[in-house]
Amino acid sequence: MYQTHKTHIKKDVKLQGLIDENPMLLLFLEHLKIDFVVKDKTVDEICRDHKLDLNVVLLIANIYNGFYPAKGELEHVNDISLLITFLKNSHNYYKNDKYPEIQKYISDLEKRHPSQDIDLISKFFNDYFIEVLDHLDYEDDTAFPYFCRLSRDKTKSETENFSANEYRDHHTDIETKLTDLKNLLLKHISIENDLPLRRRLLLSLFELEYDLNIHSRIEEEILLPLVQRIENQGK
Amino acid sequence: MKKERINIALIGHPDIIYEGISNLLHRQSERYFLYRIDDIEELDILTVKAEINIVVLNPENIINRVNQMRKFRNSHPAIYFIALLYSLTDNRLLNEFDSSISITDTSDVLRNKIDHSQNNKKELSRSKLSDRENDILIQLVGGLSNKEIADKLNISIHTVISHRKNISEKTGIKSLPGLTIYAISNKLIPLSEK
Repeated sequence: MYQTHKTHIKKDVKLQGLIDENPMLLLFLEHLKIDFVVKDKTVDEICRDHKLDLNVVLLIANIYNGFYPAKGELEHVNDISLLITFLKNSHNYYKNDKYPEIQKYISDLEKRHPSQDIDLISKFFNDYFIEVLDHLDYEDDTAFPYFCRLSRDKTKSETENFSANEYRDHHTDIETKLTDLKNLLLKHISIENDLPLRRRLLLSLFELEYDLNIHSRIEEEILLPLVQRIENQGK
Repeated sequence: MKKERINIALIGHPDIIYEGISNLLHRQSERYFLYRIDDIEELDILTVKAEINIVVLNPENIINRVNQMRKFRNSHPAIYFIALLYSLTDNRLLNEFDSSISITDTSDVLRNKIDHSQNNKKELSRSKLSDRENDILIQLVGGLSNKEIADKLNISIHTVISHRKNISEKTGIKSLPGLTIYAISNKLIPLSEK
């Protein structure tokens, strides 16, 4: 699942081969609402089929493969709407799919192994889930609409108090508690047997961690620099 | 395998070396985060901002300042020091480091040293918390701030911060709620104190 040496994705590479190499790219496709039946198509062809901005798609796909945008690569990106769509779709995956799935596994665990430790884990997760939802709602309702307006008008309106810097401050590290949960389950909390359920739970946590990590890298290394560029131009 | 983020401080290297190491590491993995500072003096401030795992230092930087470096290393035992050698260097100076590489080495050497240092770190994280660390953990999950813990246990606030870093490194847990579960599950505190 986590190869270290992956392909640096270019426009003429076929998607099928890329997915074979790094199955986590399925998440990337899902967040762009691209169907998994990619046939024999290259990245460029898929982008044309779906009318997607090739430069942005390559930037995102390469982050999944462990390559971060080099200096100058962001200069070719003028429209942030695809980025926002991608991030919003990722939010849906967190809110409606991955976190509830993990919550279900933990509640199953609680039922099957009643103990103080599992109760605590369950409470930890539920509190954490509420924090995550708050953060995602803040991005969906406050930060992203501001970015979209800014990108459309290319200038900050007089009354706007919000800025990319504020977003950066608010951009809390929701990955820390996820790692804590994983480490509690792998290092500290003993549960007897039930390996299949625990494996499902852990694999879900790993998948979520992988995607969240990429999510915040996209926000920090692509979205924020672009938004700040527009903010500075508008001054 | 997706692993923990590794924060590397590069101290006192020219631009071209910094750019070179930066490119080399970023092409290899997303785990490496680089911080660049000009002088070892700034390392104290940097470690407050980020949890530094590895320092790659030009040994020229510590000639005449070995005591200062020893002091820093005593308060940050988990940080791994690599000397990056530009020229022939006095062995006594090199003894202050955990490891060394030369600018004529291949890129694999650098990477191996970094991976090796983190394997050693795993040894550390397997070991249990010391009594002092347990004391601090108990106060911490009891809701005391760093300052309050320092006053109560009669130690400096820097010592508290350094213990906290070691606690998180050994347990793999950083958040307060997570540490609370660790403390309860290890019977350091009763459930009611949560």
